[in-house]
Amino acid sequence: MTGEKVLEIHHLSKTFGTNVVLRDIDFSVNAGDVTCIIGASGSGKSTLLRCINLLETPTTGEILYHDVDITDRKMNVPSYRTKVGMVFQSFNLFNNMTVLENCLVGQIKVLKKDKEEARKKAMMYLEKVGMAPYINAKPKQLSGGQKQRVAIARALAMEPEILLFDEPTSALDPQMVGEVLAVMRTLAKEGLTMIIVTHEMAFARDVSSRVVYMAGGVIEEEGAPADIFGNPKKNSTKEFLNRFMQG
Amino acid sequence: MSLPSDFFGRIVFILQLYGPSFLSGAGKTMAIAIVGTFIGCIIGFAVGIIQTIPVIKSDNPIKRFLLKLLKFILNVYVEVFRGTPMMVQAMFIFYGSSVLFGINMSTVFAAYFIVSINTGAYMAETVRGGILSIDQGQTEGAKAIGMTHFQTMVNVIMPQALRNIMPQIGNNLIINIKDTCVLSVIGVVELFYATKGVAGAYYTYFEAFGITMVIYFILTFTCSRILRYWEKKMDGPDSYDLATTDTLAYTSGMVKFPDPKEKEDK
Repeated sequence: MTGEKVLEIHHLSKTFGTNVVLRDIDFSVNAGDVTCIIGASGSGKSTLLRCINLLETPTTGEILYHDVDITDRKMNVPSYRTKVGMVFQSFNLFNNMTVLENCLVGQIKVLKKDKEEARKKAMMYLEKVGMAPYINAKPKQLSGGQKQRVAIARALAMEPEILLFDEPTSALDPQMVGEVLAVMRTLAKEGLTMIIVTHEMAFARDVSSRVVYMAGGVIEEEGAPADIFGNPKKNSTKEFLNRFMQG
Repeated sequence: MSLPSDFFGRIVFILQLYGPSFLSGAGKTMAIAIVGTFIGCIIGFAVGIIQTIPVIKSDNPIKRFLLKLLKFILNVYVEVFRGTPMMVQAMFIFYGSSVLFGINMSTVFAAYFIVSINTGAYMAETVRGGILSIDQGQTEGAKAIGMTHFQTMVNVIMPQALRNIMPQIGNNLIINIKDTCVLSVIGVVELFYATKGVAGAYYTYFEAFGITMVIYFILTFTCSRILRYWEKKMDGPDSYDLATTDTLAYTSGMVKFPDPKEKEDK
């Protein structure tokens, strides 16, 4: 399974009005890859991730998921999204539901699983992220780090093939960042295919199998983390990393 | 039995003689207001949901056209019924339906019908506002786990929107309790119409309408208290219990007990 291409992006571009956000993006993801996308704010990282999940519609280009173009009009978008989960910067837990219900609703309403099976699965993933004792809490009663861990459990409960993380720790304080990254590290070890937009350089360096550096809507450089962080080829990459390491 | 000369005496006299009239009038008023508000809410939710369906460019042209046409018709409905007095609508619909279509509605049916569609027009805008008030992130979260627009609405957005618009639903109910009195123009025997009959019998307008004022206030005040209580119930408890799903969890240090200070703040 590992090594097989699951996602291929060809000539992807995205414009908002006259503002070009993504320009001719080409990249692919293999099963088991942990890809970290780094870059300055406004470089198009999040938009790229949102295009992969079709929360934004790409202007041109194609996104192949197992060789099927998902930007095709006839594509069943909701069923594609069950296979490509997403974790957001602002958690986006359903405020009207408890922690457990958050992890159940997708399984029951979308995947049509029966309640007992869904509950078992939800509990399994909630235990994995260390949130099992909080199943009766509402999102507003949790801290940011706890919310994000529930959000990860909610995404995992759908058993997606790829999990997208859109700056999962940017809204958290340093202590909470640690607890969320710890969960993500575990997932990476278990071989889940992940694409992570992040500003956590140490995390990107240690955990990812590949790092993509984006600037101005294009992929400037990509490669193994050791190469990108240890020996960047382009000056813009060097400058960006220097600024980060100093800051 | 002759009419007493003092004010309170006359009130007691009227109540003894016409108490059942007031009660049945108040009953009809409440029935019309509650049924009208309820059906109006259903209409409002339906219209509100349709109004917020996004028109996606990639959909096929026929679907887009139909959606736009439907939205236009619903817009006309909302604007017309919000923009004209209910009293005029009552006359127009009740007499118009018999002249134009030969439909002879009973006055009571006409009353339910008119209050419902009138409330529906107001509720449509309220529901639309309620839906817009829910953070976009909730929709994205739902879509990201594969929900369709309809599933997102039913499971995630509507329950939250409903909570947000509860005060407005209560407002509508109270307005409807009072405004049913305009239906007396088509001969619906609700509280106002009943009172007019009572007042005319002995020419005791002040006393009869004094009683009616009190009845209306009791009805609206009771309703607003009940709705307030209901809202509180919808919010659910302020605290939660930690589930002990795994007894080992406690010893392995996975449980963080909530900060007692935080609880006090709530």
